Amino acid sequence: MSSKINGHVSPQPCPHLLVFRSRNGPKPFRALQDCIRVKPPGGRAAIRREPTEVPRCGTCEESSRSRLYACVACAAVFCHAPLLHSHASDHSLSIPGHEIAVDVDRAELFCCACGDQVYDRDFDAAVVLAQTVNATATTSTSGSTAMQCSVAGSQPENLRKRRRVDYRPWEPDSGEHISRGNQSIPLLDATNASLVSSTQQPWGFRGLNNLGNTCFMNSILQALLHTPPLRNYFLGDRHNRYYCQQKNGAINGTKNSRLCLACDMDALFSAVFSGDRTPYSPAKFLYSWWQHAANLASYEQQDAHEFFISMLEGIHEKVEKDKRKSQSPGSGDCCIAHRVFSGILRSDVMCMVCGFTSTTYDPCVDISLDLEPNQGGSGKSSSAKSLNSFNFEADCMRPNQNCGISTLKGCLERFTRAEKLGSDQKLFCQKCQVRQESLKQMSIRKLPLVSCFHVKRFEHSSIRKMSRKVDRYLQFPFSLDMAPYLSSSILRSRFGNRIFPFDGDEQDASNDLSTEFELFAVVTHSGRLDAGHYVTYLRLSNQWYKCDDAWITQVNESIVRAAQGYMMFYVQKVLYYKESENQGTS
Amino acid sequence: MSHSHKLVIKRSSMSRPPPPPPTTNKDQQHQNPSLQEINIKLIQSGEKERLKELLRERLLECGWIDEMKALCRKKGRNNVTVDDLVHVISPKGRASVPNSMKAELLQRIRAFLASTAD
Repeated sequence: MSSKINGHVSPQPCPHLLVFRSRNGPKPFRALQDCIRVKPPGGRAAIRREPTEVPRCGTCEESSRSRLYACVACAAVFCHAPLLHSHASDHSLSIPGHEIAVDVDRAELFCCACGDQVYDRDFDAAVVLAQTVNATATTSTSGSTAMQCSVAGSQPENLRKRRRVDYRPWEPDSGEHISRGNQSIPLLDATNASLVSSTQQPWGFRGLNNLGNTCFMNSILQALLHTPPLRNYFLGDRHNRYYCQQKNGAINGTKNSRLCLACDMDALFSAVFSGDRTPYSPAKFLYSWWQHAANLASYEQQDAHEFFISMLEGIHEKVEKDKRKSQSPGSGDCCIAHRVFSGILRSDVMCMVCGFTSTTYDPCVDISLDLEPNQGGSGKSSSAKSLNSFNFEADCMRPNQNCGISTLKGCLERFTRAEKLGSDQKLFCQKCQVRQESLKQMSIRKLPLVSCFHVKRFEHSSIRKMSRKVDRYLQFPFSLDMAPYLSSSILRSRFGNRIFPFDGDEQDASNDLSTEFELFAVVTHSGRLDAGHYVTYLRLSNQWYKCDDAWITQVNESIVRAAQGYMMFYVQKVLYYKESENQGTS
Repeated sequence: MSHSHKLVIKRSSMSRPPPPPPTTNKDQQHQNPSLQEINIKLIQSGEKERLKELLRERLLECGWIDEMKALCRKKGRNNVTVDDLVHVISPKGRASVPNSMKAELLQRIRAFLASTAD
């Protein structure tokens, strides 16, 4: 019943629809579009001539039927229950040309002769536009819009087409057991008793000395040293610094040797995972990074996030490129930095006048989130509002919503919310051929292996010539499911079963990888903008450790929950393994 | 979000007490509004929309919607019309709505009528 044209799935019109279209011009449902009413609380579209109209069947006067259809040709309303009585079918049979009708409570086109739904692109676009306008007009700070309700409540059961295998930690099979016993030497044997004591820190923990306001660097390095795919890459010798330098002639002692940040990372990993527990001074690394980011080379305190970005860029630039592979960061084939951190964001901009939407894709290595503007009210005022408002479902669906506390999920919801761009930001619409007011919505097309969330706590105002830090607490979860923020979820909740006015091929993006993530590192900032300190909390096997420059200590998870998160690092759950309790056994 | 927990839909019989005999007493007619009148009251106040949303949420939670979708998929994709699907799933759908859900909605409707009674 449908065909794919240029990637768009278009249902084939039935013969009655074709005839109807030929008789009523190119836009036969134009008048119907004026009757589209979007009803709170669900944000569903209905067809009503007057907003307060109560539709009744013209033949039997019943208004309580479950399916009522309005004939598009003459606007008469009839009931339709094919087994009992269908006054809609009677009507369509009695007058030729009156086969096409619209479900008054669902705003869906129907052919009474075929007994099946039919679709019209322009009509569907108008319905979606009406729903979108309604949803964005009713945004509130603490409550949620109709669209938010559906995002929060939707089950992504359609995202997966293949049966998924449950996650199980690896156990060696019989062959692997044998080869382990014969040819391998335990890393930690009984003679190194101190290493197997339970008070010892896990492998790869080593303090980093502060070389002069370099906690911004130390905090990020600690997070990267324990980013599972990155750690595995370097410890697995995937970038061998000796080989790399030899290739670039550095061993010959040439002064302007081709600097490679990945080589410095390799050296850092070797030093930190060597087993030596004394604090390490990453001086060489700092020097290399200064050469790469000359504008940031000073002993002044820098922004950890800026350092993170410039480091990834540095690795990308200096790593030997494989000419055969794609260089676009989005594919992740260019370098290890993008392979680990790069995802793809999707941006949809919809014209508010005609509904035409243009889509762009951009790679990103992290997501910067705004903290909510000040809630203003205390918990009391928000709960009073919810008692009186329509949206009791919103509170039913989110019983844990604490009025007034900012959460990471709240930030992500706002990030993927459809936003009306101001009238001073009109964008050019290809269909209308003029600048029009637009609606923009972000969503995630492809998830990275590691999601880094950056909270915009530092506000720089060039107008007021000042910067300030936002200290507001942000709650973040230890486990995070990114499914609601994927493009497929966002689009599905927005368009439902309507024809997408653009490429709706989002089925495959999320099928390859899971959407569940685990938190493994939190970079926190305490103090003022000009005099502050960065500290990183790392999570290994559900144990939390605080990395404060040269000092690494075990801490309770409540300390981490209460900390002021600046950057949060989440890794795909399947890559986050729990180490075995007893590291000494073979 | 858990994707794999199973829910058991209780299949209840449709047995209900027989409807009360039609009254001829005009006073009684005022006290017992007809289905039509109740329906219109619900629609005009917007309560019907709210009840529908609540019902959708409950049906989603208990897996009823997933069950109906599975039934529809069994019918296949080709040569299937909306009327066919409605015909197939309506009896099973009606029969598998949990009693607790019916009770809840009935309660809400009663409360609404009581609150708006003259």
